[in-house]
Order: sequence, then C-alpha cells, then structure tokens
Amino acid sequence: MKIKVIIAVCATLIIVLFGIAIGSVYIPPGNILRIIGHNIFAQDLAEHVTPAHAAIIWNLRLPRALLAFFAGAALSVSGAVMQSVLRNPLASSYTLGVSSGASFGAALVIFLGVSLPISQMMTLPVLGFVFGLGTILLVMAIAARMDVHMENHTIILTGMVLALFINAITTLMFALFHENMQRMVFWQMGSFSMRDWHTVFIMAPAALLGVLFITRYKWELDIMTFGEEQAQTVGVRIKSVKLILLIGAAALTGVTIAFVGVIGFVDLVAPHIVRKIFGSSHRYVIPMSALLGGAFMVLADLAARTVVAPVELPVGAVTAIIGAPFFAYIYFGRRKKEA
Amino acid sequence: MLTLNNVSAGYGGVDVVRNISLEVNGCLSIVGPNGCGKTTLLKAIANILPSTGEIKIFGKPFKGMKRREISRNIAMLSQQPNLYFAYSVFDTVMMGRYLHIRSRITSTPTKEDKEVVTRSLEAVNMLEDKNKDITKLSGGQLQRVFLARALAQEPRIILLDEPTNHLDLKCQIELIEYLRKWAREESRAVVGVLHDINLAMRLSDYLIVMKEGKILANGKADEIIADGKLNQVYEIDVAEYMRGSLEKWNK
Repeated sequence: MKIKVIIAVCATLIIVLFGIAIGSVYIPPGNILRIIGHNIFAQDLAEHVTPAHAAIIWNLRLPRALLAFFAGAALSVSGAVMQSVLRNPLASSYTLGVSSGASFGAALVIFLGVSLPISQMMTLPVLGFVFGLGTILLVMAIAARMDVHMENHTIILTGMVLALFINAITTLMFALFHENMQRMVFWQMGSFSMRDWHTVFIMAPAALLGVLFITRYKWELDIMTFGEEQAQTVGVRIKSVKLILLIGAAALTGVTIAFVGVIGFVDLVAPHIVRKIFGSSHRYVIPMSALLGGAFMVLADLAARTVVAPVELPVGAVTAIIGAPFFAYIYFGRRKKEA
Repeated sequence: MLTLNNVSAGYGGVDVVRNISLEVNGCLSIVGPNGCGKTTLLKAIANILPSTGEIKIFGKPFKGMKRREISRNIAMLSQQPNLYFAYSVFDTVMMGRYLHIRSRITSTPTKEDKEVVTRSLEAVNMLEDKNKDITKLSGGQLQRVFLARALAQEPRIILLDEPTNHLDLKCQIELIEYLRKWAREESRAVVGVLHDINLAMRLSDYLIVMKEGKILANGKADEIIADGKLNQVYEIDVAEYMRGSLEKWNK
C-alpha cells in the first residue's frame, strides 16, 4: 500500500507540474521550480528564464493549476463522503441538490443583479455557497420531518425532488432574462480562467480544512457503509454524524462551485478509481480522493485550455466528456463481470 | 444482567411488540413464527429502535445512557446487510473496535486492538482469510466475520438475529457451542433469535416463545415443549415432528 501511495503522490506532482508547464508557450518544469523558488525564497532567477515566463507562471498558470487542484480535491472528497454516507456509489452532492441550489444563487446574481453591499466581486461565490449549503440544510430539514430516522432513501428522494424544483425555477429565470444567459451558461459549466491568487488563498485553506475535518470521521464513514443499524450497534451516533458529514461534504462542494462554477463527474470518477486501487478504507479513500481528484481536475483544465487553443472550453464540459464514458465503462463493466 | 420491564416498540407509531417483561442471565433463545416481533424486540434491546417501558443493563436504565455506553455493553449481529464497498476481513472486524479506538486522541488501532481482532477471527475460524475481500466471501463466511466484529467490540451482551442463517450444520453447532462458552465466561449474556428449535435448545436451557408481539411462554425448554405452547404457536405438533425426525435417524 505504501508503494501505491508514493506512486500516487509522485504522479500527482508530475501532473501538476506539467499542467503548469504546458500552454501557449511551453515552460520546462525545471524553470517552473526556479520561478517558484525565486518568488517564495527570493532565489536568483537563472539567466535563461525570461521575466515574461516568470510572470506567466507566477501570475497565471500556477494559481490556476493550484485552484484546479484544490477544487478537484474538494469535489472528490465531497463525493466520497456522499457515496459512503448514503451507501450509494452513484451519490454525489449533485444528487442532493447542492449544485442546483448554488446555480439558483448564481442566477439571482447574474439575472437579477443582486449584489452584496460589502464586496460586489464576492457576491457570486458567496451567494452560490450560501444557496448550495442552504439547499442541503433544507433537504435535511424536510427529510427529518418526513422520517424521524432520516433514512438514506428519504434523504436522496428529498434531495432529488428539491433539486428538480429549484432547477425549474432557474430555468424559468433563463426564459425570462435572455440578456445574461451566456454568462450563466458558462458559470454552470465551470472555469478556472481569470482566477488569481486571491481565489487560491480562499479555496486552498477551505479545501484543506474541509478534507482534514472529514478525515476525522474516517472510522464512522467505514462503518456507515454497512448500514445505519449496523453503525449504531457498533456505537456510531448515526443521526448527528450523518448530519455533520453531509453538511461538511455539501460545504466543500458549495465553496468550490461558488468559485469555479458547476463541475461534475470528478466527484464520481475519482473516489471510484481510488476505491479500486486503494480499497474502501477511508483512511486511504479520503486523502487519495483529494490527491487523485485534484490531479484529474488539473488534467481536465489542461485539456480545456489546450485542445482547441486559443479557444478555451468550459472545464465542466471536459470533465463530463472524459468522466461520463469512463464511469459508464467502469460501472457497466463491473455489472457485466458480476452477472 | 439484562432486564426488560413492560417494553413496547414498533414502527411508525404502531407497536409490534407490547409489554414485554423479562430477565436475561446467561443464554436465552427467542423462538416464534415470522412476524411475531422477535427482531423488533432485539432492536429495542440494542436501542436502535425507540421503545417505551424500561430496559436495564446490570441494573442501570437505558434512559439517559449515551450510544457509546450502550454499545460498550451490547453488540448485535443483525441479518446481513447489502455490501456496496469492498473491505478486507481484518478491516471489517477492526470496525468492532470503533469505540475503543475513537476514544483515543490518535484514533489509530493499537497492538491491543489488533490482538483482539486476531483473537475474534480465530474464534470464528476466519483468521486464515483475514486479507480476503468481504464481497468475495460466502454467506456463511460473512456471517462469521460479522460475529467476529461483534466479539471484537468486547461487549457483555450479544444479541443475535438468526445467526445460523447461511451456515452449514458444522458451523451452526460450532457457533452455538462457542457462544455458550463465551457467555459462561465473566458473566456475559447471549440473546438469540432462532428458527431452529434444536439449535435454540442447544444455545440455552431457557426459551421465550413469542406470538403476535407478546411473550406466550417463558421458561425451561423441555417444559415449554411438554405443555404444548410451541404447538399452539406453530400450529403443528412440534414434539411429534421432532420425534419423527429422531425415529428416521434411528432407522
């Protein structure tokens, strides 16, 4: 297992490095390390590293790659938690309406021009996050009212119904306000362009703290995959732990969606691959999902900005194009094998 | 050891078991037809189903007791869950150490935890398979893994819901004998819901017969069979059936 972890860490570092290196101009990884060393440790830049390259790396590509990495990590860990808590390998924050809620928040900002008095720039991410998190809280409140035990199927069904309802309202807003439709569509497809260090400085600690917080519940997550009754008999306080984990996972997704828009499939694909390679124990599933999800997102962003350059594709579309067939292959392949 | 006083429990506001009072010391078997409330009663004892009335463990009432305190005393082997994710046998049994591990700052298994898990696996003859993936096990092997997990919990009372399902005859007898021995040590208790009257009598000298959510008979197994209570519940002549089986063997 240790070797697998070391290989995964090395592979992730290489992917991130090449994610930074490749673009309109190729900048060798060695030069990237020198530029990072220059900016962090005030080391002298080598003569062959041009100031233009240094600016490209430090101001554009490095923050973008780091943002992609942390966004992928947060989404993957959130997906891993949802799947284990709800005992459904296809569950994700999207199933429970988090993305629908966040999209609705974004629609309010884009279509109706709602803005926060303190910072207009932060209105979209903040409202996206608040509405995403608000949706999961509403789902849990309705589920608790309908079913005192808050069984998984009640939560999933409530989430799906609420997501459909919220999507319907957002679609109505699409129909009524045409002028900002393109901005909304692009936000819904996700992107890392035009993001700077400020976004990284918010996203990185949020993702790290979220992942660390969820790692604390690795035992509960393992036990809960066997069902709620089993978890209770072993000693898990199922209702409160479930609530904490679902809100934690929704917050991770909410904060990510808020900054980079809706990006799907990474939260399904990454935990699935991790379970295949490292097994189901959450002491590996959580950190490795973060690592692999982050690397997957860096690759997806690399593809989004290079495949049809200079045109940039929405990263959400790329993750769906890679993720959907891959997931279908894995999922149906397994079912075929079991039959 | 375990006392129930006027306990009622059920689902959606409808009581499935009503006014159950009993005292458990050592081993106890519960028998009765499908739907009579045996599993519901076990779930109420394990406190995974809300109940009214009073349940006491070692003289201490459940009310106000935290989940972890109940689980430190009571483990339950439920009917097998669906498995969605693959774990090794060893990791699955280690989950029984949850309360012991989680109460430490490091939250990692110690040498002692690993020893307890190894002993539990040994007890159910699954130590050789400790690295196997549980999704690849047979129903019987899986049942033994879950029993090992219950043992790893180091409870004082084990509740068993049809524990011999999926087990072959040898494994059934071994399991029952092991549980009897386990209960004799350090004043522990086993409450088992069993469909097989022979196994129920092997597990304990005392039987509880349930019908329609109530206790119909509670006492020594031979007395219960003799006074025809089982016949009343199952609507067959149980003693005659067992004698018939024995005669076939003798022939």
